[in-house]
Amino acid sequence: MKKIMIVIFSMLLVFSSVFAQGANEGDANELVAYSSVDEENAAKLFSAFTADTGIEVSFVHLSTGPALARIQAEKGRPQADIWFGAPSENHVSAKNEGLTVAYKSPALDALGKDFKDPEGFWRCIYMNPLAFGINTKALAKAGASMPTSWQDLLKPEYENLIQVPTPQASGTAKAQVYGLIEIMGEDAAMAYMAALNTNIQTYTTSGTGPSKGVNVGDAAIGVQFTPAFFNSISQGLPVEVVFPSEGVPAEAPAVSILKGVKNEQAAKTFIDWMTGPKGQNALSQQNTFFYPVLATAELAQGMPSFESLKIIPYDTQYYSDNNERIVTRWVNEVLTAK
Amino acid sequence: MKQSLKAQLRDTKMLTKDPLLFSMVLLIFVSLILFILYPLIKVALVAFSDENGFTFKNFREAFGFWYYRKALFNSLVMASLTAIIGSIVGFIFAYALTRAKIPGKKFFNLIATIPIISPPFIGALAIIMLFGRNGFVSSTILRLPDANIYGFKGLLLAQVITFFPVAYITMRGVLESISPTLEDAAMDLGGNRFKIFYKVTLPLAIPGLASSMLVLFVESLADFGNPMILAGSEYPILSVQAFLEITGMYNLGKGAALAFILLIPSLSAYVIQKYYVSKKQYITVTGKPTDSSNSVVSPAARNILFVVAIFFSIIIILIYASILYGAVATSWGNNSTPTLDHFRYVFRVGFESVKDTIIIAGVSTPISGILGMIIAFLVVRKRFIGKRFIEVTSMLSFAVPGTVVGIGYILAFNSAPLYLTGTLAILLLNFIFRYIPVGIQGGIAVLQQIDPSIEEAAIDLGADSNTTFRKITLPLMVPAFFSGLIFAFVRGMTAISAAIFLVSAKWNFMTVQIMSQVESGRIGAAAAFSVILVAIILVAMIIIKTILRLKYQTTTSLLSN
Repeated sequence: MKKIMIVIFSMLLVFSSVFAQGANEGDANELVAYSSVDEENAAKLFSAFTADTGIEVSFVHLSTGPALARIQAEKGRPQADIWFGAPSENHVSAKNEGLTVAYKSPALDALGKDFKDPEGFWRCIYMNPLAFGINTKALAKAGASMPTSWQDLLKPEYENLIQVPTPQASGTAKAQVYGLIEIMGEDAAMAYMAALNTNIQTYTTSGTGPSKGVNVGDAAIGVQFTPAFFNSISQGLPVEVVFPSEGVPAEAPAVSILKGVKNEQAAKTFIDWMTGPKGQNALSQQNTFFYPVLATAELAQGMPSFESLKIIPYDTQYYSDNNERIVTRWVNEVLTAK
Repeated sequence: MKQSLKAQLRDTKMLTKDPLLFSMVLLIFVSLILFILYPLIKVALVAFSDENGFTFKNFREAFGFWYYRKALFNSLVMASLTAIIGSIVGFIFAYALTRAKIPGKKFFNLIATIPIISPPFIGALAIIMLFGRNGFVSSTILRLPDANIYGFKGLLLAQVITFFPVAYITMRGVLESISPTLEDAAMDLGGNRFKIFYKVTLPLAIPGLASSMLVLFVESLADFGNPMILAGSEYPILSVQAFLEITGMYNLGKGAALAFILLIPSLSAYVIQKYYVSKKQYITVTGKPTDSSNSVVSPAARNILFVVAIFFSIIIILIYASILYGAVATSWGNNSTPTLDHFRYVFRVGFESVKDTIIIAGVSTPISGILGMIIAFLVVRKRFIGKRFIEVTSMLSFAVPGTVVGIGYILAFNSAPLYLTGTLAILLLNFIFRYIPVGIQGGIAVLQQIDPSIEEAAIDLGADSNTTFRKITLPLMVPAFFSGLIFAFVRGMTAISAAIFLVSAKWNFMTVQIMSQVESGRIGAAAAFSVILVAIILVAMIIIKTILRLKYQTTTSLLSN
C-alpha cells in the first residue's frame, strides 16, 4: 500500500511539476541560445560577451541538424532566443520556413554583402575554409608523400588512409561535394569521388569526424573545416594543414533571432556585439581558430590570411534546392564504386 | 489466454471493486497513452503526410531506394547477430558464475556488468584506439599494417560488448531462480551432466534466454551511438540513416518513415517471444527450500567456460582502461603524459550537466522501476480489458528508436495544453516511460517463475490484494526489481538519441555533452566525462546494493555474489 501510494504521489509530483511550469517572462539581462558553435568555443565567446555587457547567456550545444530539427519542431514557441552558428544556408532555410525574424542595425551595414541577408534575417559571425588535415607521423608510417591537391588524393599510396564525412549528414561534406562540383563540374566531381572511394577508410557521420581519426593517427588524411586542425597543431600534435591547389569551399556560420522569443532585446545586443569589432576580435583573443568576417579584425597566430587562400564560392540557394538529388547521386555512384 | 469478451468484462468488473487497483490501472492507461502513444502518433502523422495530406510517399521513397533496403538488411543482420552472440556470451558468464566452481567470481561479475555502463561514442572510440589502424592491439601488439575497424566487424564487436551484459544480468537472475536441487535430483537419478544441461537447465532457462534475445535484438536495432562512429556510409544502419535523414537532410517525414520501418522487426520480435515463451512456462519457485550441492559442471566444461570468460574480460578491461587512459593522458594516442586538465575542463564547462544528469536519472529511475513492477504484476496476475494494450504500449517506447521518441516528444509537448519543452519534466517523463519495459520484462520473467498458489494461499488466509502484493509478491520480485532499477538508471544515464532533442539550456545532459566533446574533437574531455559518468553509476549501484542488503537481506544479481 505504502509503495503504491509513493508511486502515485511521485507521479502526481511529476504531473504537477509539468503544470507548475509558469510562463518564464523575458529579462533584459538574460539570453538563451541554441549553439551550433561547438561547446568550448561558444562558452568562450559567450563569457566574453557577458564580461562586456553583463548579460548572462545560457546555451545548449546542438549541431546544425539537430538544432534545425528542434527549431522546426518548436516553431512559434522557441525555447531559445537565438540560433548561434551553423552555415548560413541553414539560416536561409530557417528564414524561408518563417522561423526567424529580421533585425537591421549599423553592425549589419558594416558587414560585406556575402556575409548577411539583405533583409537582415541572418548575418555571418565567422568563417572557416575546408582543408586537408595531415597526421605527418601516420603519413610517414604509411610511407606516403604529402598531398598538395585534390588530384593527389587519388594516388594509390593513400589507400585506406583518408577520412571524409558523409554528405548525408554533415555540412562539411556537403560543402566539400558542392566545392568539388564547382571546381570540376557535377559529372566529373562524381567520377572523382567514385575514384577516390578506394582510398577512403570511412565516411564519418559527423562533420568533425575526420579530425578525430587524424589526431589519433587512425587516418593519415582528413578533410574538413580547419578550426579543429589548427587546434590540434596548437596542442602540439603532429598535424599539418594543407589547402589543395585547386581551391576549397568555405563555410560561413551565421546567427539569427528566432521568431516569438522572450529576450529579443538581449538577442539584438548580442548580435551587434558579435558582429562588431569586440566580438570579431574575441574570435582570435579566445583562440577559436575561426576566421573573422570583419576585415578589420585580428587573426590568430599560425593561420594564413584568408585573402591568401583560394576560396571557391558556391550558390547556397542552388545547392540547397539540389541537395537531395546530389546526395542520392553520391550514394548511387560513389558508395558503389570499389 | 483466450477468453470471451464477457469473461473479460466480468474480470474488469471485479477490478473496479478494488478501488486502489482500479485507479492504478486507470492512471497507467492514461500515462501510457499520453507519454508513449501520443508522441508516436504525432511522428506517424508526419511520416504519413506531406503538404497535400495523407500519403505513403515517404515509405515508397524509403523502400524504393536500394541504399535504405540495404540499411534495413544490415540492421536486421546486426541485431540478430548481436542478440544471438550477446545472449550466448551472457549465458556463458551467467552459467559459469551460478553453476561452476571457477575462481574470481566477484571479479567476473564486475567485468560482465561494467559494459552495461557504456557512455555513448566513447566505447566505440576506444575500440578504434585498440583495434584500428593505429590501435594498441592491432598495431602495437599484433603489428598489423592496415587494420580497418570500420564497418561490419568493428560494429559487431562493439554491439556484443555493449549489450551482452543485459543478457548476462537477465540470465543470471533466471539461473539463480532455477533451483539447483532440480539439477541435483537429475544427477542423483543418474543423468550425465551434458544431458542435465540440455534436459533440465536449458529448458528452464529458455524463457529468460528468449527474453534477453528479444531485448538485445530490439536494443541493437534502435542503438545509434556505436554505428554512428563505427558503421560509416559503406555499411548503412537504419537507425543512423533515420537520424541522418532528420538531422542531415532535414526530411522529418522520410526519417520518421525509416524509423517506423524499424518498428516492424521490433514488434515482430516481441510477438514471437511472447508466443514462444507463453507456451513454455515453468514454475520453479514454489516456496519450498532450495539448496544445491553445486556439482553439475564437469571440470572440462568448467575450463571452457573459464577461458571464454577470460577472453571477453580482457577485451572489456582493455576498452575501459583505454577510456581511463584517454581521460588522464594529455593527448589520446599522441602524448601519454598524465594530466588532470580534462577533468578540470569538465568541471569548468560541464559541471551543471553532471548535476542535471544525476537529478534526472535519480528521480526518473525509481518511478520507472516501481511502475514497471506494478505493470508486470498487473499483466501477469490480474485480468482486465486492455491488459495486452498496456503490455504492448509500454514495450513500444523501447522498440522505437530514440530519435523518433525525441522528435515525437517535441512535436507533442510544445503545444497546448502540454507545454513541456525546455523543462525538467519532459526529460523525466521521457526517461520514465522509455525504460519502463526493462522493469516490466524483468518483473514478468520472475513472476512467471513464481507459483501463483503462494499468493492464493495468502489471499485464502485473509490478506487483501495489496497486502499480498506487498508481503508476498514484492519480496520475491525484489532481485528482479533492483536489476531493472539499476538497468533503467544506467540506460537513463547513458542514453543519447532521445535526450539530444530534449535537453535545454537549463537542463543539459552529460551524454549530450560527451557527444559535443566528441564532435568538437576533444576526446580527452569526452573520456573524462565518461569516467565521471561511470563513477556516478558505480556509486549509485553500491548505494542501491547497500539499501537492498539492509532492508531485504537479499542481494541483486549485480555487483554481488
